[in-house]
Amino acid sequence: MILLGAILVLLTVFGAPLFAVIAAGAMLGYQKEGIDLMAIAIELLGISQMPFLSAIPLFTFAGYLLSESNAPSRLVRLTNAILGWMPGGLALVALAACAFFTAFTGASGVTIIALGAILYPALKQDGYPDNFNLGLITTSGSLGLLFAPSLPLILYGVVAEISIDNLFRAGALPGLLMLILLAGYSLWVNRQYRKPLRSFSGREVAAALNDAKWELPLPVVVLGGIYSGYFAVSEAAAVTALYVLLVEVAILREIRLGDLPKVMRESMLLVGGILIVLGVSLASTNYMIDAGVPQLLLAYTTGFVSSQAGFLFLMLIFLLILGAILDIFSAIVLVVPLILPIAAQYGVNEFHLGIVFLAAMQLGYLTPPVGLNLFIASYRFEKPIMTVYSATFPFLMILLLSVILIMYWPELSLMLVPN
Amino acid sequence: MSGSASGLLARLERWGNGAENASLVLLLGALTALAVGQIVLRIVFDSGLLWADELLRIMVLWIALIGSIAAARSKRHLKIDVLSHLIPERYTQIAGIIVDGFSSLMCGLLAWHSIRFLQITIAMEDTVLVDFPSWIAHGILPVAFLLMCYRFLISSAQGIGDLFNTQNTPGANQ
Repeated sequence: MILLGAILVLLTVFGAPLFAVIAAGAMLGYQKEGIDLMAIAIELLGISQMPFLSAIPLFTFAGYLLSESNAPSRLVRLTNAILGWMPGGLALVALAACAFFTAFTGASGVTIIALGAILYPALKQDGYPDNFNLGLITTSGSLGLLFAPSLPLILYGVVAEISIDNLFRAGALPGLLMLILLAGYSLWVNRQYRKPLRSFSGREVAAALNDAKWELPLPVVVLGGIYSGYFAVSEAAAVTALYVLLVEVAILREIRLGDLPKVMRESMLLVGGILIVLGVSLASTNYMIDAGVPQLLLAYTTGFVSSQAGFLFLMLIFLLILGAILDIFSAIVLVVPLILPIAAQYGVNEFHLGIVFLAAMQLGYLTPPVGLNLFIASYRFEKPIMTVYSATFPFLMILLLSVILIMYWPELSLMLVPN
Repeated sequence: MSGSASGLLARLERWGNGAENASLVLLLGALTALAVGQIVLRIVFDSGLLWADELLRIMVLWIALIGSIAAARSKRHLKIDVLSHLIPERYTQIAGIIVDGFSSLMCGLLAWHSIRFLQITIAMEDTVLVDFPSWIAHGILPVAFLLMCYRFLISSAQGIGDLFNTQNTPGANQ
């Protein structure tokens, strides 16, 4: 058993698909417990029993469509018109636009490719130092994670079986905190690069608004619809997908009809990849709960720490390591079911737990050896991975600070959540 | 490999690719249309189709599995890729062969046990969507895993082929 486990670990680090490794683990477990292996097929069908799951393909599709269109440059223009007059304006523009875009496109790295291509040269032209730009763009690629309707938030809500609407509410202020801290840092670092401020132009704002008029209703409909309770998450996703499809393909015609199958395939590749891991994780989780793994973990943890603060600290360390090796989607489906019962024992609020979990996992995008954003930025901007990493490091520290604040200040997450 | 055999494989590839894309386009289109249709029914007529929600979920299952086949073809499954950046290419090639072989085996096992499960649901005459045989709706499980099993097997075999190719003529592995 231990030998087989070691072989699985070895296969994993050599790049075996996670779903195959998890399936192997689950089958080994079932075999050991004398459960018929066809149970794994039943568990896989769990994918078709989860409420709101259709939100994931629909939002992902909408996100891919948006990033393939000219929506990114319209978003940058609009943000620039609104924020560009402030000191350090363009850095703020980058942060705000990326956060907004990531929330709407899921956190799959498309932000760096779609927005980075516009912002990186613009920042350089405005005289910001290269290292700063690289770090800023790399960090911004996963910044909107805590804002509705990001995919990790939805997936967390589905897996933890808690209200996704409330999770959206819980993420708003912590997400804002990250944004403010990063903005403050950006202003402080660039204080010596004071340039004459651009003046605010009402005309440019109007023009940018007009330019983005087709996309403007989106956040209103999606966020307004969800927060008011008018739409369920999956309904908002369906409306978004149809609306974006009509706007970008039929009205603005920025995506040719002939390219549509390619965009659909690309987006569903990601969805298939996430959901198959979800399916096999249902099987492995079930086995682990049967085998009493959560109780074992709990007994182990209580041996270490007795207070909630101590538990949260231990969890943060664990999540930082986890985030460094596992992508956020796999981490959610694999680990959340095991952490939930333990956290409940320590009296951690389930929404607060979700936000801490996702905020900590966000750091994983920026930490070696597998940080997705590092590789995308390195590839996109043709910089060595170590250069990207060292450029990103100060931003990583700011994010770590904000995660600690989010962790020990539960009210920040819970303020907007109705009891 | 003889010319006609590789020609057949290439044609299979093209058909497979086309079938994947077509089914993804159809499923995603139907998912969007049905989901929006439900909203319209709810808001305008204050009603809804009883079976629509279940059908939506089955479509998500199909999208997940067909997307997964496509991900296997494009080598885009989620994985932890720590070592490929660190070790020499020759070793990652060998690791790739083993890893693909393992994935193929796992998909084969998953397909086999899905088939066994479906046989039982056929015998029990299980239904979904009121009175539709469930084995058809769930039949995508073995189909998807068989296709992925085949896909990983081909990929593993190609890896072995490339390995020998590069050994004989260095630098020319295509």
